[in-house]
Amino acid sequence: MNRLPYIRPNIQRLQAGPVNPFRLGSSPSCVEIDGVPVAELARNYGSPLFVFSEKALREKYREAHRAFSRRYPDVQFAWSYKTNYLNAICRVFHQEGSIAEVVSGFEYEKARRNGVDGSKIIFNGPHKERADLERAVNERAMIQVDNIDELLTLASIVRDRTEPVSIALRVHLQTGTHTVWSKFGFNGDDGEVLQIIRRITTLHNLRLQGLHCHVGTFILDPENYRVAARRLVELAIEAEKIGAGQIRYLNLGGGFASHARLHYQYLPPEQTTPSLDRYAEAICETIIGLWPAGRDLPRLYLETGRALVDDAGYLISSVVAVKKRHLPSQMQTAMAAYGKSAAVMPQGNSRHALVLDAGINLLYTTAWYQPKILPARPCLDTPEPTTVFGCLCMNIDVIREDAPLPSLTTGDQVVLHPVGAYNITQSMQFITYRPAVVMIDSERKVHVIRRRENLDYVQELEAIPEHLATRTAVSRPEPHILAVA
Amino acid sequence: MSTPLSDLMLNDRGFVFDPASGETFQLNPTGLRIVRLLQSGLSHDAALTQMVSEFEVDEHTAQRDFSDFLENAVRLGWRIE
Ligand SMILES: Cc1ncc(COP(=O)(O)O)c(C=O)c1O
Repeated sequence: MNRLPYIRPNIQRLQAGPVNPFRLGSSPSCVEIDGVPVAELARNYGSPLFVFSEKALREKYREAHRAFSRRYPDVQFAWSYKTNYLNAICRVFHQEGSIAEVVSGFEYEKARRNGVDGSKIIFNGPHKERADLERAVNERAMIQVDNIDELLTLASIVRDRTEPVSIALRVHLQTGTHTVWSKFGFNGDDGEVLQIIRRITTLHNLRLQGLHCHVGTFILDPENYRVAARRLVELAIEAEKIGAGQIRYLNLGGGFASHARLHYQYLPPEQTTPSLDRYAEAICETIIGLWPAGRDLPRLYLETGRALVDDAGYLISSVVAVKKRHLPSQMQTAMAAYGKSAAVMPQGNSRHALVLDAGINLLYTTAWYQPKILPARPCLDTPEPTTVFGCLCMNIDVIREDAPLPSLTTGDQVVLHPVGAYNITQSMQFITYRPAVVMIDSERKVHVIRRRENLDYVQELEAIPEHLATRTAVSRPEPHILAVA
Repeated sequence: MSTPLSDLMLNDRGFVFDPASGETFQLNPTGLRIVRLLQSGLSHDAALTQMVSEFEVDEHTAQRDFSDFLENAVRLGWRIE
């Protein structure tokens, strides 16, 4: 037996909850991104500013692809458009060899305009318009059927065609996650999927080619994928037994964790986020081990989103006000319950606070994750718990309840990271304009990939009824005249 | 008050929660292996033999580190039978 490398056994007592992030002593900072100074980026493109590292995108994609292709002969990644569908980002992944995964007609059209052939689009989602399905059928997209209504719509679309159309079924499974995403697809544990497969064998011109399962998102335990892969293989074998033919592909969806940190997550992401190799091992070993001998292995599709893009995205923002915040004790408890704060406050009942020029309308994911917030200049003082408010005129606009930050002043920049997944696609224009987005290429050249919004852009779709069209918008009613006694 | 080893809750990364005190600890992989072996009911001698067979370590070093480790554990409030 091969013996493992030995290190001296050791136990370390961990500090209580809120103390942990402040152990560091000096303050870490983020002075540049891919060799470009943050101050220069803010000066040239404004603040706030989203910044993407093309190098990080490509490196992460290659790492993921390597992890799987080393272990499995036929792997194909499909870029999950909803995770970030800025065209420049999608095109980086397409250049690297990724096809597209879309969940609406809008995303489908976007992928087509990015040069993706219809046959290289995986079409997912619980609501696909009939016209979109017709297009997907004509262009031979890989439709992952979500529900029986969709299946019957498809059956009616393909009835009179000369060739059969291939489809896959989306399945949800009990894999050991907190919640099963049972909103999507058919139940793979109670026989529902097999019933549907039997039904497909009776429908004219539909061929079952694939099975799809997206376990969930930010899955920290690769074992969930082991279970999903095992169940999909079992279902594929049963499908063939009941006459559906051989299953050609298994699609394990997305869900690998990035280096984001959940609100309640105690250990830092460096310790909790599994390597892509561990996910690959769980999935590939399982399929190879269980697939019937002598049969071609199915193609493996992956729709990895956040794990590929999150860590490559930054938000530069500027401090616009410095405050002190008094916190009555019941509020401390309430905030802890709200999930954005630890229950004990090292500074007693008051706390430093900052207002940034960006709000949670740009950082939708702060509802679940706490981005790192780093000063953009080196700071010698020790970090202290600091509440970081956004710029919206709303009380809920809190980006971090207690980020460890050194003392900062108005005009200082900070960098929020990682923010590359879901923030851009889920951000909304509210109160202010959404900022520009730039991408730093491998030669450190900065490219604007989305301009800052302006009033014309925001109002482009509005219309003013004729009777409101004259320019004297404010008319003044007569003031009340009060009788003076 | 000390917590019996069998009450400690561990995960595969060596994170330990002591439900009696609410304290948390981090074990390195070898430390984790020792605690797991003892939790499974092995005697100290049997656990030590197992460590030597699993890891690239000579018996002498393993024995010294093993005792140091258990002493440290007791100081941190764990009860070692
Ligand atoms: C069907 C499907 N595929 C892929 C993804 C991408 O997931 P993630 O960003 O967690 O990798 C999602 C996201 O929820 C999804 O619903």
